[in-house]
Amino acid sequence: MIYDKPRCLPGGDRYILMEFGNEMNLELNFIAQGFSAALAEAGVTGVIESAPCFASLLVHYEPSKIGYADLVRELLKIFETLGTSDDLEIPSRLFYMPVLYFDPWCEACVDDYRARIADKESDPELIIRENGLKDRAELMRIHSGTEHWVAALGFWPGLPFLMALDTTKRLIAPKYNPPRTDTPQGAIGLGGAATSIYPVATPGGYQVFGRTPIPIWDSTQKNPVFQGDLCLFKPGDRIRFVPIQRDEYDELEAQVSAGQYDYNVVEYQNFVVADYNRWLTKRQEAKQ
Amino acid sequence: MIEVLKTGLETAIQDWPGRHGYWNQGFPVSGPMDSWSMRMANVLVGNEPGSAALEAQIFGPALRFTDHRVIAVCGADMKPTLDDEPIPLWESIEVKPGQVLKLGAARSGARSYIAVSGGFASPIVLGSRSTFAKAGVGGVDDGPLVEGQQLPLFDSAGTPGLRVPPHARPTLSTNSIWEVEVCAGPNDDWIDEAGKARFLEADWKLSPKSDRTGYRLEGPEWTFSEKAYDKRPENGALPSNIIDHGYPMGAINLAGQTPIILMNDGPSMGGFINPYTIPSAAFWKLGQAKAGDTLRFREILVEDAQAVAMQLIELCKPETLTQVA
Repeated sequence: MIYDKPRCLPGGDRYILMEFGNEMNLELNFIAQGFSAALAEAGVTGVIESAPCFASLLVHYEPSKIGYADLVRELLKIFETLGTSDDLEIPSRLFYMPVLYFDPWCEACVDDYRARIADKESDPELIIRENGLKDRAELMRIHSGTEHWVAALGFWPGLPFLMALDTTKRLIAPKYNPPRTDTPQGAIGLGGAATSIYPVATPGGYQVFGRTPIPIWDSTQKNPVFQGDLCLFKPGDRIRFVPIQRDEYDELEAQVSAGQYDYNVVEYQNFVVADYNRWLTKRQEAKQ
Repeated sequence: MIEVLKTGLETAIQDWPGRHGYWNQGFPVSGPMDSWSMRMANVLVGNEPGSAALEAQIFGPALRFTDHRVIAVCGADMKPTLDDEPIPLWESIEVKPGQVLKLGAARSGARSYIAVSGGFASPIVLGSRSTFAKAGVGGVDDGPLVEGQQLPLFDSAGTPGLRVPPHARPTLSTNSIWEVEVCAGPNDDWIDEAGKARFLEADWKLSPKSDRTGYRLEGPEWTFSEKAYDKRPENGALPSNIIDHGYPMGAINLAGQTPIILMNDGPSMGGFINPYTIPSAAFWKLGQAKAGDTLRFREILVEDAQAVAMQLIELCKPETLTQVA
């Protein structure tokens, strides 16, 4: 459910967790992100930063500038001004990310896991079975056939938690048990209803079934698309995965290492929740 | 300039309060685990309390100075020496070009802070000089100290012969038992009354599998309230599973049955509940606790935790210092 009034919970002397509801859906994430933007806009004294997640928002504040009770009051006041999520317009960049689906590196990584840690079904086959799909081609078509919403970043710096905006193309998958000790950089994974991209080689628990040659983490901060940050994405961005073949993968990888890759990103759009909801209703009706 | 002769155990540059403003991209705050000691070391050498200084962990570094400096070493006692002569902690000390500062193994406490007049002039990454070792962020060459490295410094004169009076220093445990303040929340309502009482009454042992990312605690089993069971499936099957949410630094994160205190380099979000949170003013105790030490938790109100944090800000100022007699 979505709460009428958010629950404000203290996290020590410097944090407040705001819960907007107790389920995982896009509407709740729109509220969390819309609130995060409104909070930044309001410029409340003592608020250092906020981090939206699926259905909640963590607020980090400086207690020598504002006390707990006063800040809760301010937060609830801002929430009152939000109106419904239908009124929200969220600045949203759109990234086109080339992906080699069913790449050899993820396959080798899964083979290694099966040999060393635990036997399991191949990751793409498991996703195909769990979602009642026909074959790999259909999995690729569905996964690349919707924009993905950056609901949050976390677990590792720059790692995006993505939700399919066309919910008729939502895929689900269980997580690894136990988790992998390694994942190739750039691997595309699915866990629960969330898709992710691994920014660097890290342990992981999502089913992996593709790889992008394009870095989403730039420790040199040189490529202008990073705008002085180390991470490519921000909450509220959108990603579209574009299927590519091996020769294009190699070509793009060469461009990246030569420092010549030109990121494909659209920066002139706002995400209008009301428009999105209208479109989604139409999509769902068409599907039926 | 300082030349690194020996690195010690992941000695790294930290500043305070650390890397703010990037939690929504997954960057931890980093910074010193015992900011009380580091702030005092900076104040002793005439720096701002939050200037970049060195955090030595468990086993300290050996450093050669190339110019005149004033230094201070505060926190754990690693038996510091200057050209092999013992020097006191909690005092500002003059160093001449060519002199070598050595820190050994921590006798009491776990972390020692070395401040140098001027402060370290390493690059600012995302608004801070703090080192986040696991992701190679911050420091001189994207990480902790490396042997043979040259550490750049800002120029500034300091005053030797100043001292932090005993009442203004953190009192390190001498019996390996630490009483650590906690605040309830954000998810204390997922724990039943018996579970809360057990948490506050138990002796918790600090596991060797602990680092700047998280402190694992060994102790009794947790029991949960109705809320931990009566929930939607997207929370996850275990009682400690919740829909992924932001983690406060200092949260006691319940992964299954193992509580992990999320420390300065900890994760920004995840899918486990956080029934309690260690307030910032109690962090120095965690920074000085060693693997195998016992932690006992004492619940305090958020407002009281904030008052203590403000007292510490007032304390870590030049007015607190006295002259060495």
